Amino acid sequence: MKNKLLMRLFLLPMFALLGSTVYAQISVSGTVSDATGPLPGVNVLVKGTSNGAQTDFDGNYSLSDVDPNATIVFSYVGFVTSEVSVNGQTTINFVMQEDTEALEEVVIIGYGSTTVKDATGAVTAVTSDDFNQGVIASPEQLIQGKTAGVQISQDSGEPGSAVAFRIRGSNSIRSNNNPLFVVDGVPLANDTSLELSGTTFGSAGARNPLNFLNPNDIESISILKDASATAIYGSRGANGVVIITTKSGRSGRGGSFELSSTFSVAEAANEYDLLDAPSYLAASTANGFDIAERNFGANTDWQDVAFRRATSTTNNLSYTNNYGDGNIRASFSYGKNFGIVENSSLERVTGRLNAQHRFLEDKLKLGLQASYGRTNDEFAPLSGSAGFRGDLLGSAYSANPTWPNDPDFTGTGGLTSPAALLAYTENLGNTDRILVNFSAEYDVTSELSAKVNLGYDYTDTFLSSATSAKALNVDQGAFGNGVAGVSQREATNTLLEATLNYKKEFENSSLDVLAGYSYQKFDRNGRNLSGFGFFTTQLGDMIDDLVSSADAVESQITGSYQQYGYAPNINGTFVNRLFPEILQDNIGNTTGSRVRSLFGDTFDSFDELQSYFARVNYTLADKYLFTATMRADGSSTFGDDNKYGYFPSAAVAWKINEEDFIGDNVSTLKLRLNWGITGNQDGLGYGNFLQRERFGGGDVINDGGDINIPGTSSQSFANPDLKWEETMQFGAGIDFGVNNDRFTATVDVYRKSTTDLLLRTISAQPAAQPFVFLNLPDSEVINQGIEIALGYDIVDQEDFSWNANFQLTYNENEITSLQGQFPAGTIRGQGLSLAFAQQLQEGQPLFSYFLREFGGFDATTGQPLYPEGDVQKFVGKSALPDITAGLSTTVAYKNWTLSAFFNGQFGHYIYNNTANAFFTAGAFRGGRNVLPSTLTAGESFDAAADVSTRFLEAGDFVRLQNATLSYNVPMEEDGLFDALQLSLIGQNLFVITDYSGLDPEVSVSPGGGDLLNGFPVYGIDYTAFPRPRTISFGINAKF
Amino acid sequence: MNTRSLLAMALVSLLAISCTDLEIEATDSVLTDESVGFDGVNAEAALNNVYNDVYGQLGDQANFFALNEVSTDETLVPTRGTDWGDNGIWRTLHAHTWSPTHQYILNTWNNLNQNVFRASEVIDSRSSPTPQQAAEAKFLRAFSMYFVMDFWGVAPFRNVDDGPEVNPTVLTSAEAYDFILNDLTTALPDLPATGPSAETNRASRAAANFMLAKLHLNAERHKGSIDNTDYQAVIDAVDAIAADGFALQAGYFDLFKQDVDNETIWWAVTSVGNRIWNGMHYNINAPDNAGGGWNGFTTLAEFYDSFEGDPNSNYVGDGQEERRGWVPDASNADDTNLGIGYGFLINQQYNEDGTKLKDRPGNDLVFTKELPGLQGNGEATGVRMIKYHPVNGSFTSHEIVFRYADAHLMKAEAMMRMGGDATAMVNELRALRGASPLGSVSEADMLAERGRELWYEFWRRNDMLRFGQFTRDWEFKDPASVGASFRNLYPIPINALLSNPNLVQNEGY
Repeated sequence: MKNKLLMRLFLLPMFALLGSTVYAQISVSGTVSDATGPLPGVNVLVKGTSNGAQTDFDGNYSLSDVDPNATIVFSYVGFVTSEVSVNGQTTINFVMQEDTEALEEVVIIGYGSTTVKDATGAVTAVTSDDFNQGVIASPEQLIQGKTAGVQISQDSGEPGSAVAFRIRGSNSIRSNNNPLFVVDGVPLANDTSLELSGTTFGSAGARNPLNFLNPNDIESISILKDASATAIYGSRGANGVVIITTKSGRSGRGGSFELSSTFSVAEAANEYDLLDAPSYLAASTANGFDIAERNFGANTDWQDVAFRRATSTTNNLSYTNNYGDGNIRASFSYGKNFGIVENSSLERVTGRLNAQHRFLEDKLKLGLQASYGRTNDEFAPLSGSAGFRGDLLGSAYSANPTWPNDPDFTGTGGLTSPAALLAYTENLGNTDRILVNFSAEYDVTSELSAKVNLGYDYTDTFLSSATSAKALNVDQGAFGNGVAGVSQREATNTLLEATLNYKKEFENSSLDVLAGYSYQKFDRNGRNLSGFGFFTTQLGDMIDDLVSSADAVESQITGSYQQYGYAPNINGTFVNRLFPEILQDNIGNTTGSRVRSLFGDTFDSFDELQSYFARVNYTLADKYLFTATMRADGSSTFGDDNKYGYFPSAAVAWKINEEDFIGDNVSTLKLRLNWGITGNQDGLGYGNFLQRERFGGGDVINDGGDINIPGTSSQSFANPDLKWEETMQFGAGIDFGVNNDRFTATVDVYRKSTTDLLLRTISAQPAAQPFVFLNLPDSEVINQGIEIALGYDIVDQEDFSWNANFQLTYNENEITSLQGQFPAGTIRGQGLSLAFAQQLQEGQPLFSYFLREFGGFDATTGQPLYPEGDVQKFVGKSALPDITAGLSTTVAYKNWTLSAFFNGQFGHYIYNNTANAFFTAGAFRGGRNVLPSTLTAGESFDAAADVSTRFLEAGDFVRLQNATLSYNVPMEEDGLFDALQLSLIGQNLFVITDYSGLDPEVSVSPGGGDLLNGFPVYGIDYTAFPRPRTISFGINAKF
Repeated sequence: MNTRSLLAMALVSLLAISCTDLEIEATDSVLTDESVGFDGVNAEAALNNVYNDVYGQLGDQANFFALNEVSTDETLVPTRGTDWGDNGIWRTLHAHTWSPTHQYILNTWNNLNQNVFRASEVIDSRSSPTPQQAAEAKFLRAFSMYFVMDFWGVAPFRNVDDGPEVNPTVLTSAEAYDFILNDLTTALPDLPATGPSAETNRASRAAANFMLAKLHLNAERHKGSIDNTDYQAVIDAVDAIAADGFALQAGYFDLFKQDVDNETIWWAVTSVGNRIWNGMHYNINAPDNAGGGWNGFTTLAEFYDSFEGDPNSNYVGDGQEERRGWVPDASNADDTNLGIGYGFLINQQYNEDGTKLKDRPGNDLVFTKELPGLQGNGEATGVRMIKYHPVNGSFTSHEIVFRYADAHLMKAEAMMRMGGDATAMVNELRALRGASPLGSVSEADMLAERGRELWYEFWRRNDMLRFGQFTRDWEFKDPASVGASFRNLYPIPINALLSNPNLVQNEGY
């Protein structure tokens, strides 16, 4: 039979590796239990063989064909693995000991798992026990500061804002450098969050793509740092891989509920000490300004108007049941997190079902992980792209304190009142996301298992932005008309994976081979709408009118279309069609329009990724560990000459502590070496390798409401050579532990070289586009560094324990080869159009500051002095920290536990764009509010505020990120609850820093269209949403 | 069949189903087969796109407009405290201290050359353009390439079939001149003979003739020589424009309304907001721009003084010629002018109800002729210029690109350079504009007359170069740049040099 033949051909090499041994035989049976009773699901294995079983619901097992002199190994997640000699017994009952450190030991890696002791690569797992507590908007915050070599910074204090996640430095000059996230085996796409565009004060960067996950559902987060661990993810592995595993029902024997609730109060940790109305007027008089024109009578603290004390709640209910042949966990959560800036909130509803069941004498394992998440975002009117008028915070810092808090106040002289922004703008986002993963794993033999994994990840996003006709001085076209925009997108990722896993224990060695195939498809479709001229000033109605107008037009178009719209300067409704052939059509007057001008633009595309991969692990004498992996990645985003990329890796580890010459006191001593090649295709985008024709879009409706009907243009050049960025990484590490790992240390060194940098570089003109996407020849970025992690159980007693963990990373980054010089680091604000603060150039780190050297103010004229010339130069400072560190410590006494976690970053600099844009003498002359110190600096009211080192500040800080006090209420044996824990959590309690802005850990994200040369912005503080100080009370009950 | 073969079957069939060729599909753009290369574009839609691009570039205050105006004796953008500092980008243009990294020089290089390439895509026979579409694209290509040649003295060219690995060839100024001449002459027969009408926003025979006149009149700079045949070609082209119905028209500021007039040969569908509001003070506003002006652009005292009238004020009855406009005061500020003047705004400014406007620190808003320098300016320094009036809409989509008065003066200049006397023609225009007649017209008079008639219409740099005046001294020009003839050309942007090894940096940079 053909199929059988195929299968044999496929499996033959593996069978060739099989050995078989014959033993004399007895049968052994018994019951396994733990302190509370029988324990189902325990693995019972005859050591050195594949002869094994699992305990049933009542904890019973039986083994046949057992050598009377054999040893039986009992193992179960969460318990100490134990060995018992058979010695001819036929009944062996065993009580498992819980292992508090066991959970840490299992590390989920790509397409499998291993243990810390057997890992060859630099892999760190953080489990739920060690997660950060408090108000956690997204999963990364759970592990912020917990892992060496990993820098996690939330861009701002906005609920759900994007996160900068760097594993071993920044490799890429263009992409966001975030790692690949894998949730329960489904690699996520990197663009599932949409940018909010079409706002009237500039656009805001994308949101955190993991917002849909309920942090409470997460069991563990594994971070794969080196290439030997990430190369199995090929062209998406260069920035590291983060594997998120959700909780299963394995621990809930017999069924149990868990309910947890948190209530939090947050407020701004810091505010600017601005002039109040009397001092503003006094300073105006003192400096010769006419009070009559500057005094509007009120005394408004605009920071009080923009900020608020915000309360948040989160509630989780979960049910877990381990019923022997399988387990189930279902959870539901609801949370509403209000931001400390008005009009900002994140509401999230999630439901999750994780189920596993074993069939056919446990040979077939079916697993399902399904989640639904709904997030409702309310975005404060903030933008890293805001121009001279500023956004809500910019205007709150600069608004005249004598203006009344009245949105209709007209005396602002062209400036924007925070009151108008709050009252007459609205930016909302609704996202539905479904992530389902179904897997079937079948043990063909005791050595060979096969697994099929199907994943479905669907995201439906609706973003809206409206500015009403009442909004004075918000945007040129808005007042008297009203403008609004809507972005809608459906993103569907489907995954199909098949893997074969062969495990074989030999006399003195073991082999673990994995081979697999993966196919992933990323579909994107949706539309962007903009409208001008509304008949209502109700913000919600404006959005409804825009959508219904667009729907009405769409229903009246026959045939396919890319764009449509109408405006007073156009007769009828135009339709731009691509298929069956490009046609600029007009379908006459359409009905149902509720806005004066409408423009709709649609998109619909997909990309595919097809991969083959394999991994071989070989362990010799439990001392020498070898790993090799290979992945072939094919992607539809690559050019025709580079459809497939090949990504190999290799690693060896030597468990020196297993050697005889090492004393028993040394519990761990392992040396690891690894090498690998990985890729990065993030930011490559759709169809950049061939000539593609499409109608132009963007900001088509002008300030008067007219439309120039877009024509078509080529979107890109044909470039069949286009491919991924490539990173080659070498690493070495040592793991050390003494006294049964009471003290542990891990030190890793690495060197990563990234080449073929992807850049949207300038086209040699004349060309269809100003930029062309290509891999820069002779380009290279090097990251090298050291990671140190130390752990010590300082006190380890029955009633009293104290431990501390410290991690530190030193990373050095340099662009070692790059042709040309590329301005980067967009600076925004009044008189700062086209200003920039950074430049990419050979010999410099990424995000290097490129500024005028500021030499104070001229004593007589008050004009700024630039002793080295009025030109921008490298100043030897970068936005990238040299050192990131974290210290966590936990003290437990009887039922009380106190833990604290500090993190810090050192050696980086922040460009204080907020001060550059708002806190200058010239700003005060223009009627803006400033800091008292602004007026005593000796600066002329006529001085220009060009980008210079005047606004560059050291960003070093230490933050008490989290302190948690918790109490386990003692329970009666037959009480209502099995466990009850109360906790009090403080977040961001203090920051030690010299930085003069509100928070040293910031990075604003201007909208994509605002990025100079398409480079991301990092280390620039422009009215960033400050991190709140949060106090939470939590209760967690099991019953 | 046992479970193993079942499993194997499942696996094999999965592989069979899912194996993909990794090709993207034409779902939201029209794809070109890579083996074919360029396969033509949709001529109509792509041509519309080129128009939109050109319109957008013309409406902008930065880039094209800045390179043509802010670099001259007519316009400057002073840094006012923190305002309009913009990293020095405006100051270096006016002071003639720009460098090859200047962002506007780079942007304009990219924009104009991109127009050239996209127009070439339309013209290519594989795009099957109609003769008129090809002719319109040739006109737009000629217009764009003309300014590439004018700004940089060379013009790169890329065939539509060339991929990113091909370095564009570089046409010398003389080669580019011939290329443009050929585009215009071959386009002419296929362009519509549009007369004065609302349809003059698209390329017409008159627009191509206008461009031809410009080309011939500047031939000396571009191809190194000029003779009477060039001047005669200018005259012929202007006569052809007149034959299509275009003529001088009285009522100077009415020309910049949206209405049809006899002078407008080509207008751009682009908002005039930048032209209006760049120079207006924050407290000068209109019902459809309640936020007021942006307080940037001004002119120089010397340029203001080149007009007839009271040198220190511009109210009604100050003896000014029509083109200097007028500033409403308490006696005549009303709804019909919103208190906002026409032309050159100097001295005290008023609100529409006749009250004095104040600046933001609270002083009377008095625009001064003198400025302290490029930096250190207050809110009121500098005479402001306004040609499009907000009573006709603050953001109306109607900006004049080619105007018959320019053609008229080109013809006069050609006659003068052929040895004739331009006085009568110049005075014909001056009479229409309420200016006293000149006794005779010298070269300097001709340049000055062009300045008075065509201020803010982006021909100032081109004119100053033709009259050899671009390197002369004027207020706030860097002394080191006075007489620096290499500044007659802009530097090739540094990133363009890196992108194309065929380019050679212009001498002096």
